[in-house]
Order: sequence, then C-alpha cells, then structure tokens
Amino acid sequence: MRNKPVKKIAIISIIGSLLMISQVIDGCKASQMVSNKTGAQLWAENCQRCHNTPSPNSFSPEQWETIGLHMQSRSLITDEERTKIVAFLKQ
Amino acid sequence: MSPTKTIIKWIIFPLGSLISINITEAQQTTIVDSALLERVSVLEQQIASQKPGESHFMVAGLATFGFVTNTTTTTSGGISQKAKTNSFPDVDHFEFSPLFLWRHGSKFLLEFEPSFDGTSLGVNWADVSYFVAPGLILRAGFLVTPFGTYSKRLAAGWIDKLPTDPTGVADYPPTSDFGFEAEGGFPIGSMKWNYDVSLTNGLQLLPDGELQSVGVVDNNKNKTVTARLGLLPISNSSLEIGVSGMFGTVGDANSPYENAKSQSYAADLNYVKLFNPILVNIKGQYNYTFVNDQNYINPGDSSVYTFDNKTTSGFAQISLRPTGAGAAFVKNLELAFRYGRYITPEKSLWGQKSDIIDVSLDYWLSWRTVLKIGYQSNKSTSTAIENSGDETKSESLFIQFAIQL
Repeated sequence: MRNKPVKKIAIISIIGSLLMISQVIDGCKASQMVSNKTGAQLWAENCQRCHNTPSPNSFSPEQWETIGLHMQSRSLITDEERTKIVAFLKQ
Repeated sequence: MSPTKTIIKWIIFPLGSLISINITEAQQTTIVDSALLERVSVLEQQIASQKPGESHFMVAGLATFGFVTNTTTTTSGGISQKAKTNSFPDVDHFEFSPLFLWRHGSKFLLEFEPSFDGTSLGVNWADVSYFVAPGLILRAGFLVTPFGTYSKRLAAGWIDKLPTDPTGVADYPPTSDFGFEAEGGFPIGSMKWNYDVSLTNGLQLLPDGELQSVGVVDNNKNKTVTARLGLLPISNSSLEIGVSGMFGTVGDANSPYENAKSQSYAADLNYVKLFNPILVNIKGQYNYTFVNDQNYINPGDSSVYTFDNKTTSGFAQISLRPTGAGAAFVKNLELAFRYGRYITPEKSLWGQKSDIIDVSLDYWLSWRTVLKIGYQSNKSTSTAIENSGDETKSESLFIQFAIQL
C-alpha cells in the first residue's frame, strides 16, 4: 500500500527518538537490575504502571499467588519480578 | 502470751496460710492450663485441615456505573437539530464484569470474565494459561489480542482515569478472538523487554467494507497473526513503549472478498513517574488499519462502490495526582485530560473525522475505588458517501463510580 513505507518510517522514528530520550534521562542515574531490587521496590515501580499500588492487606496470601499470575500475564513483568512482588505482598 | 505461742501466731500460721493459698492457686492454674492446651490443640488441628492445597479459586472483576447527561447538535444542509438525553446508566458506561480465576499449582491459570453492559451479556475473555518457564506463558481460548495495550491493561473502569474509553481504540477491531498466544517478559541489563504473539481466527470484512470482530464465525482458512513488542528502557520501569501489528485475510472464503487482507499497526506509550509531590501519568496509543483495494456493495441501493479503506485512531492522555500532598483529601484527587482523534474511511458509509476531548476530576476512595466527574466534547464531520459535510457536536457530563471487585 502506498502509505505503508511512510507509516513504518514514522513508527520507527518515534520509537528511536523515545529510546534516545529515555537513555538521556536515565543515563545520569546508576542503573539497577531487577535481581538487585527488593519486592517492595518492584511492587512500587511496576504496579503503578497501570493502576494504583494495592495494599498488601487487600487479599490473603493465597489470593496474592493467584493474582500474581494474572498480573504477570497482563503486564508481562518478568518471572523474578512476580515472585518477589508476591512474596512481599504475602508478608 | 508465751514466745512459742507468739511464734505460732505471727509466723507459722501466716506462713502456713500463705503456702496453702499458693498450693490452691497452683492447682487452679494447672486446671486452666490444661483446658487452654486442649483448646489450642483443637485449633491447631482445624488450622492444619485448612492449609492450602494445589488449587485456588477466587472471584475478582469490576463494576462501573453512574449517570450521563448529553446534548447532541446535528447540522445538515445548514439546519441544526438538538437532542438531549440523560440516563442511568448509559449503555456505554455501565459494566458489571466478575472475573473468575482458578489457579492450579503455580503453572496453570484459568480466567473467565463475563460482562453485562446494560443491554447484553457477553464475554471479555475465557482462556487458560500455562506458565511454561521464565519468559514464556502459553495461552489458549477466547483471548484479548495483543494489539496495543489499552484493551488488555487500561480499559477497566477502576483503572481508566476518565469515564469514557478512547473512541476508536477500545471498541474498534481488533479486540478478543479465539486462538493461541505466547507471551513473556525478560530483563536485558537494566532494561526490560516483553513480547506477545497470537494466532487467531481474525476479523471479517463485510460487503459494505466494515471490519467486524464481534460475533464473528471463522470465515476462511487463514489465520491472523498479532504481535506486540514492548520495551521498558529505564531501570525503574517508569516508561514503556510498544509497537504492534496485526495481519490477516479478512474476506469470506469463496466470496468476491476471499483475497481481501487487512494490516493494522499500533504504537503505544506509557509513562508514570512521581515528581514529588505530583504523580504524573501519561498514556497514549495510535492505531492504523487498512484493507487492500476492494469493490464494496452499498446495502442501501446495492450499487458497487469503492474507497480507500483505512482507519486511524489515537489518543494522548495525561493525569496528575498530588500523592505527596499533606492533606488526605487532596492526596486522593486526580485530574485527567485526554485528546482523541478518530478518522474512518472517506467515502465509505460511515466516514467521519472526530476530535474528542475528555476532562475528569477523580476522587480515589481507596486504591481500587474511584468517583469520577467528567466532561466530554466530541466534534465530528461526516466524510461519508452520503451526507458528507454534516457536523455533529456532542457534549456529555458524567458522574461515574468504579470499583475493582
């Protein structure tokens, strides 16, 4: 289709620009890998991407196990993130 | 009194009394301890019988309802007509959707979410997921296709900052479909990537040129591929950007449209960061869909017509919440603004260009319960094959309550 190359270039340009901007923003801070983060830290960072951070008292430990799987499939957090966040919420 | 009698009276007798009292108390304590121990033992047995097994079932979900008042002014051929409505709840803004979750061990998850929107009972998704390994989840059933992020993550009433969905993004194909999906997320250094790929029956092209996804029976042998790649380039996960594509044959087999194919592209952005005391939340998505050139049938007069069958839609949204404020009431307020643009095919039967502005002031009663007061302005100009140039201006005021169950 005649507009296809333009659309692809536009999308790629937008993504590339955002990547460069993000590296500039983040470049001055010390990066921290997921493995170095606590469950509480991961909970605060990842849950608020979509919704308000839930209170650990909102559900039982068993419910958090189930909700953790559901949230991982929605937000595509890593396996390690899900394990740490659920462990924190179950405390 | 003799010294002996004195000793007996003042020392031995009181001492004996004291000893006898302590013996009596000790006996009573022993009796109490025994009863207590027996009770504790019974409780321990009850607790042991309640320990979790391999499976767990729970109900979550959401409910959204409220009130909307609307004024719509339609101008055609220089003549304007105005209509006012109000309802509780409006069909587009009521939802009762319990989410049934059943987990087996740590590997299997079954999800079923029926939904009642005030007029019909439908299904948002019904699927089973298998958590194969870190970074790989397999899913099968009636699933939300991974096109953009709005439908899969942001559409719930208690998540959406505004009372309305972005026009042309939440309700325009593609949405849910029957098929198979693979997804996962994994770290790369301090960044994270995620992927989501599905193979589904796909959309259906109607003879008038519309693409349909609701109530579609598989209409051809081809399957539709949908995929999204997401990147979180900042180590605190504050920013996510993603690109999506959906490609498939959409025409009915053995029909004039059996070679009709559609391609859809989307780009999405999500940025949430606390700039103390304000939590800044930015979201956006842009969709582009087109179908290769076809000759369509006007159902009004059965005439043949054609048009450039492309649709674009998108929104940009920002919300601000003073989570760092001192007063609890202020802390729970959130102001949201959204601009949306929706363009459907020119010279089709439904061609239009719309600009939609939404503003909402929210009050969070809890992390999952919100009251929204919102306003929407929707200005639309028809580009349809009939009534081209007609203008529609709609203004709505919403009061909406949403809760996660």
